[in-house]
Amino acid sequence: MFRSDVTAKYFDGQSARVHMVAVTVCDHLGAPALEIVQPDKPPLYWPTLALRELTDQARDEGIVLQLDGEGEARLIIPHGHAEDVIRQISPNLRKRPVKKTMLRKLMFWGGGAAASVALILLVILPAMSDQLATMIPPQREAALGRTALKQIERFMLGSQKSLTCTDKAGVKALDKMIARLTEGADIPYDLNVQVFDHKMVNAFAVPGGNVVIFDGLIKASDTPEEVAGVLAHEIGHVFHRDPTRLTLRSAGSAGILGMVFGDFAGGFATLVVTERLINASYAQAAETGADVYAHGVLRKTGLPSAPMGDFFDKLKKKNGDDKGLMSHLASHPNLAGRAKAARDASAVSVDDFEAILTKAEWQDLRGICG
Amino acid sequence: MANAFQRDNELSFVYRGKKGPLFRLSLVNTILTVLTLGLYRFWAKTRVRSYFWSATAPGGDPLEYTGNGLEKLLGFLIAVAFLAIYLGMFQLFLSFAGLSLFSGGTKPEDMVFRVLFAQASLLALLPFIFYAQYRARRYILSRTRWRGIRFGVEAAAWGYVWRAMGHWFLVVISLGLLLPRKTFWLEKYKIDRTWYGDTRLAQGGSWPMLYRAMRHIFIAVGILILGVVWAFWDDSVSIQSLSSGDEIAAGLFVLRLVPILFLSGFWMFYGYVYYSVTSFRLLAETKKLGDSVGFTSHPVPWRVFWRRVWGTFLTLICALLVLLAASIIGAVFGFSDISLEADVFGALMTLDPFEIAYAVFVYLLIMGMFGVFYIIFVTQPILAHFVVNTRILNADALHEIEQRSRDEMVEAEGFADALDVGAAI
Repeated sequence: MFRSDVTAKYFDGQSARVHMVAVTVCDHLGAPALEIVQPDKPPLYWPTLALRELTDQARDEGIVLQLDGEGEARLIIPHGHAEDVIRQISPNLRKRPVKKTMLRKLMFWGGGAAASVALILLVILPAMSDQLATMIPPQREAALGRTALKQIERFMLGSQKSLTCTDKAGVKALDKMIARLTEGADIPYDLNVQVFDHKMVNAFAVPGGNVVIFDGLIKASDTPEEVAGVLAHEIGHVFHRDPTRLTLRSAGSAGILGMVFGDFAGGFATLVVTERLINASYAQAAETGADVYAHGVLRKTGLPSAPMGDFFDKLKKKNGDDKGLMSHLASHPNLAGRAKAARDASAVSVDDFEAILTKAEWQDLRGICG
Repeated sequence: MANAFQRDNELSFVYRGKKGPLFRLSLVNTILTVLTLGLYRFWAKTRVRSYFWSATAPGGDPLEYTGNGLEKLLGFLIAVAFLAIYLGMFQLFLSFAGLSLFSGGTKPEDMVFRVLFAQASLLALLPFIFYAQYRARRYILSRTRWRGIRFGVEAAAWGYVWRAMGHWFLVVISLGLLLPRKTFWLEKYKIDRTWYGDTRLAQGGSWPMLYRAMRHIFIAVGILILGVVWAFWDDSVSIQSLSSGDEIAAGLFVLRLVPILFLSGFWMFYGYVYYSVTSFRLLAETKKLGDSVGFTSHPVPWRVFWRRVWGTFLTLICALLVLLAASIIGAVFGFSDISLEADVFGALMTLDPFEIAYAVFVYLLIMGMFGVFYIIFVTQPILAHFVVNTRILNADALHEIEQRSRDEMVEAEGFADALDVGAAI
């Protein structure tokens, strides 16, 4: 216990005047309390159970006390023995009880915010982007796609010059393949298929009917029908306008997620992952849709879709299947399932069909990049 | 009232913040923010404010920040509930319009169109941004106390919105010449609606007084104009020779132009700092609290400028050291070649999940540490410089000021948080 000699600063919360007061520990109404004495005024009693201290303070002049969480007055006691005593006898200095009404408000508005975000991300944006995608003039999309392709060549693949392969016989073989796959199909754009001179086993579609196949994919295929399966899949994306729809949709959802997570240190990374998680399920639907389209095209043109399944198996062997967390992050459904679906859809026997390319043309296609 | 910080009825300010405690505070904040996927940011900002406020002590009595993280979170949730749908559709239409109007072209005029369009679309957000800024200021001041007395701001955000739009419009069409007018009138609008306890603040002075603060911006523009004229002066360098592909002339031209651009750019940055510091001083000296309490302030522009340059440099160095350490640790564990492959057709994420996790961790670490060092090396020293160079005149009149009632403001500064236009601290 300390005697009444401790002089402290007191702000009564009513005026900006500084009051110098004497503080003692005493017993008030049967409980320990601080007695605050100002000249010419009746003493104040602050029960130690109700004392709170201000936190995250940079000041060096002492401990700052208030009564409960909401008291207007402040008592500033210099560091030293008195502070130590007060810390010992005041158990609730750092307690900040949360009011029930606050919790209710948080639940209410938290629910409102979640509903709002879910509505825009899962309902409004997908529906509107599907609709808007059909309203963009095809030639604009084509131009956009060409720009995107240039950027992919430059930034993703690190190539200064064009990667497009132009071997005449190879292009002729490719055109023959495309012609058979698109016969009678109502595709919203002029199809522009290119082969990139890169060893990646991959293919993709960008807006405006632009499709790219990597030379690595052609080299990894054993038959032209495997390539045809992949190509039909990409044409499926083009047919469904997937690249444009996805671009529009992710533009909208990125903004929302940025708002929700804020730009805290590295919020960006969380954003990318979350955006992927949300769009992946949508993209997986797009992939399945493109697969189904490809099965249909192959059936219609009298080609087996089993080679497409073989190709998926090959990919699986090379890269391993993605299961669990990774399959949610990747935009493509797992390969074993896709391979099986392709085989099940096959309407033509692998032993009896009109090959899409002759042996010589297949060699030409394999040599398209020289 | 005897007071070490009071002399001749003038109250000087002390700044009591230190590097160590602030470093620990913001480090803990950063870690918790990352671990909670950003949720902790409302508490983090509140705690840093508490620290800065309590370090700022006019007359030795510190300011107190009484805001709390929970009410900030609530305000944010309210703002998200209102803004999410609007913002999502806004961004969607933005990219739709961008795609259908200007996409694809690589010609210069297409690029210019696209930039202009992006700027024009920001206009649609501008009213909300000004609204959020006014409300954020009102929230912060309603949670600020000094000597136990609250500050307060009148609810007048929409009036601020259209004034701010108008003043900025004039600034743009006058090519910046009316910047002092905008600075003065917006400050006056805010200050004339600000209270300390039961006493109103008032902004005096007039806008032309701020032209003094524009000095170095004019110098930077002058350097640019004279420099470009000089670069064209030589007969061998003419528009024709440049467009005709004369490489020597073009080389000479670039050789002259680069240092000019560099110098005027650097000077422009100094001019910007000089303007903000000097206009702060001029506006502070013409402010009044009630009838008699005044202020003086003399922050030194070049010190603030140097703090920003040198502090940013130190921040970068420290962040790089952290990156270096993280890379070494990563190399020890064999995460040497972290690269992301394109995942398009069937190409899977072939990376080891641990490598990805480590890459994400390092990224978060660097971003977080950058913020931590910046607050130590730039934010706090500049704040301290402003604080210690400010004084209150005729301080005895302060004793007559009485408390004002609480401004509840349930939405807190939620709109500013949602639109990410919050105050710097």
